[in-house]
Amino acid sequence: MNKDPILNVKELSTSFKTERGVVTAVDGVSFDLSKGEILGVVGESGCGKSATAQSILRLYDEKQTIHEGEVWFEGQELLGLRPSEMDKVRGNHISMIFQDPLSSLNPVFTIGNQIAEAILIHKKVSKREAYARVLELLRLTGIPAPEKRVNEYPHELSGGMRQRVMIAMALACESKVMIADEPTTALDVTIQAQIMSMIVELNQKLDMGVILITHDLGVVAEVCTRVVVMYLGQVVEEADVKSLFTRPLHPYTQGLMKSIPQLDCDRSKPLHVIEGTVPSLHHIPEGCRFAPRCPFADDLCRSKMPPLEQYGSGQKARCWHAETISEKGEAIRA
Amino acid sequence: MTSSTENIDLHAVKTALRKEHNSILLRQIMSNRSLVIGFVIIAFLILVALFGPLVIAHDPNAMNVLNRFAPPSATHWFGTDNLGRDVLSRVIYGARISMGIGVAVAIVASLAGLIVGVYSSYYTRLDHLLMRISDGIMAFPGLLLALALMAALGGRASNVVLAVSIVATPYIARVVRSEALALKEQTFVEATRALGASDTRIIWRHIAPNTLSSLIVQATFIFAEAIIVEAALSFLGAGIPPPAPSWGNILSDGKTYIYKAWWMTFFPGMTITIAIIGLNLFGDGLRDLLDPHSSKTKN
Amino acid sequence: MKTYLLKRLLSAIPVLFIVSTIVFLILQMTPGDPALVILGQEATLEEVEDLRQQLKLDRPIYEQYFNWLFNALQGDLGESYFMNDSVMEAIISHLGPTISLGILAEIIAITLAIPLGILAARRKGTMTDQSVMAFSLLGMSIPNFLLSLFLILMFSVFWRLLPVAGYKPLSAGLWEHLKYLLLPAFALGTAHAALIARMTRSAMLEVLNANYIKTARAKGVKEKWVIYKHALRNAFLPILTVIGQSFLGLMGGTAIVETIFAIPGIGQLIVNGVMRRDYAVVQGAVLYVTFAFVFINLAIDMLYGIVNPQVRLDSKK
Repeated sequence: MNKDPILNVKELSTSFKTERGVVTAVDGVSFDLSKGEILGVVGESGCGKSATAQSILRLYDEKQTIHEGEVWFEGQELLGLRPSEMDKVRGNHISMIFQDPLSSLNPVFTIGNQIAEAILIHKKVSKREAYARVLELLRLTGIPAPEKRVNEYPHELSGGMRQRVMIAMALACESKVMIADEPTTALDVTIQAQIMSMIVELNQKLDMGVILITHDLGVVAEVCTRVVVMYLGQVVEEADVKSLFTRPLHPYTQGLMKSIPQLDCDRSKPLHVIEGTVPSLHHIPEGCRFAPRCPFADDLCRSKMPPLEQYGSGQKARCWHAETISEKGEAIRA
Repeated sequence: MTSSTENIDLHAVKTALRKEHNSILLRQIMSNRSLVIGFVIIAFLILVALFGPLVIAHDPNAMNVLNRFAPPSATHWFGTDNLGRDVLSRVIYGARISMGIGVAVAIVASLAGLIVGVYSSYYTRLDHLLMRISDGIMAFPGLLLALALMAALGGRASNVVLAVSIVATPYIARVVRSEALALKEQTFVEATRALGASDTRIIWRHIAPNTLSSLIVQATFIFAEAIIVEAALSFLGAGIPPPAPSWGNILSDGKTYIYKAWWMTFFPGMTITIAIIGLNLFGDGLRDLLDPHSSKTKN
Repeated sequence: MKTYLLKRLLSAIPVLFIVSTIVFLILQMTPGDPALVILGQEATLEEVEDLRQQLKLDRPIYEQYFNWLFNALQGDLGESYFMNDSVMEAIISHLGPTISLGILAEIIAITLAIPLGILAARRKGTMTDQSVMAFSLLGMSIPNFLLSLFLILMFSVFWRLLPVAGYKPLSAGLWEHLKYLLLPAFALGTAHAALIARMTRSAMLEVLNANYIKTARAKGVKEKWVIYKHALRNAFLPILTVIGQSFLGLMGGTAIVETIFAIPGIGQLIVNGVMRRDYAVVQGAVLYVTFAFVFINLAIDMLYGIVNPQVRLDSKK
């Protein structure tokens, strides 16, 4: 049910040449982003969600990185573009904000300078016009007294404000897609809520597609329209938000859901955990990658990799036993 | 997964762990190119210095007025100098002198620097005094200070060692002191003190040994600097008195006749350069091995 | 900012004291009587005694020291025993060549080092990088007086392009002036170029790994600007540190290079002074040099404040 997909990721693979051999961090990932949609990408640390995002914008050093697959945006295939042309896409049509706003802002330039740069690179406007737009953006992202802030340095601002500055930079050219890589992880809980509600507001006001990368399922439930779940470089489940929470198909997703502590749960019982740990990317298991930790795994799972199958109403899962498992599963609070 | 209790052979485990640790260490050392190349160069030069005099055909001080300024040939690989002396032999003997002084300075400065460093880190008032004096010594261009000291003490090998050691000690003291200061803050020191250990014991049993890795790296660079300073002093005529063939003296002779006999400058110069390169490589390699995250640059 | 500077100046004073004390003591320990050297071996004992009294060499050490210090604070560093100038004049007249040499050497060093360091960082791990590192090792390892000799061999003896030694002041024309300074400046500057190149490379590598570089790329900044605007500006602080330290070391190393190339600078002044037991000159020149060091250090600190806004703002609080 994807209406107007603006970004198509098709079988994207990203491998890095390291001293210990080639490591594939993103393995055949596909998803679409529709206009005005907020797509959540969830998974544990190291599952490849950040790597996917950075691959879309080709932020990796291409001497040490191998990309396969295709990324389509507005009729252009991004992975095949020349670097100078890719420069024109970044920050302009597709923008990105990162996890730690303090280290992500250049300490020796004022925030006004950095936001203005985002404008001046892509648009032929005068410095004055650029700075006017900077003030406008600062107001849009809820930063008080923008005239004063413009001349301040990143370390003079609070964490929440810095993230607002990053968002302002991302909005500078009115991009159609914003990739938010764990934008609130490094912030206080109260600020998290503010930033997330601002992202939602901007998404609605500007009809801007958002890819929200996070490990926080609570945020996903509140904010996203659709969700992609990743494990060890692969997509293991894709669904709209309601289906994901009410009827997760993949055992990993189910495990994640069950691990969320509930307010009304029985406190005498231990919290649910997913057994085992995530294997390193150098030792990827044969067959289904989740099999070693899956309570339902059998010989088929351990020997053959399941494909990503459709299961009606746009839900996909990468599991041999998805249907049978979900029937046994319990409904989780939506 | 059931957990079973098995009899673990502790001794076997320890031996196995130590073997693994050693093989990892060996691999680290072997893969550290700087370390290996530097070591090979230095080892070669040390062997030459120690055993060269037994092997060479000519006496470094034997003058042969009939064969002055002979260019490099089969009999005289490095040619002869203004007095007909074989340059190769002089360079080999010079290795003994110059490298010997280098080692001596490294050792003396290390000992002195270690003592000054650990005691400064431990006793604050002493620290102020010693650090001020160190600052004073370091504020001075090293060569000039050594020069002044040599003028005061007189030109002898032992004085060269003394003078250069005085110049070098503050650098080692500073490195040791900063390591020791960091160590002092660690809990194991507090714990040891709580056990009733005396200050001296803490300093020498616990703090000093842990500063050794930084010390050795610094000492390697001091070795290199000492060779250079000795050569410079002798070159200026304030170091080892001629006719002793210290590398500086050979260069000094070479300068006078640079138009006539380029080999008198070139070969000793190459030898010194190779020695310094070897030491620098070794020091860099050592530093990578012992403290890979160090961003210290040498003095 | 002002209090910070004042504090630094004040902390330099004990250093100056100690340095002058050390030098004074060393010179006192030095055998050889200036009076005797001046008058020659045939002088009679009375003549020597007279001269000693004249030069106040017969007073107790501490009195000599305080006399000297007292005068020094008023700007009077005494008279040279061997030259016809006061120490102050001698120092001033010898300043020019050393400063020219030092600045030229530093310019050569920076011009070579920073682009090479950036190149090596951008092409990390490749042959280019390794070659730059190898050259830098070579540059750091050859002692400057040795490099001087090699350069003389190449450019004066074999190729006869540049003069072997000597000095012409600026008044003789820019090229004439530079002709005599080129080889010594190169000899002096190479080791520092090597050091600065290494620091540039490692500072750039560190900065290029930072998150804000990723942000800059994500904004669509062209690679050239990522390196020269975003990265270099941040890497500049440690690079500046090394440049500052190297400049100090450079000024200290001029002594032997000046001697080889017969350049009448402060280094040569001190070397000759020590050799001739010209106490007054050595003390005065050393004091001067140390003072200059401290001053340059301070200037560098001030430069930090301009380059790195964080430092400036922190010291305001």
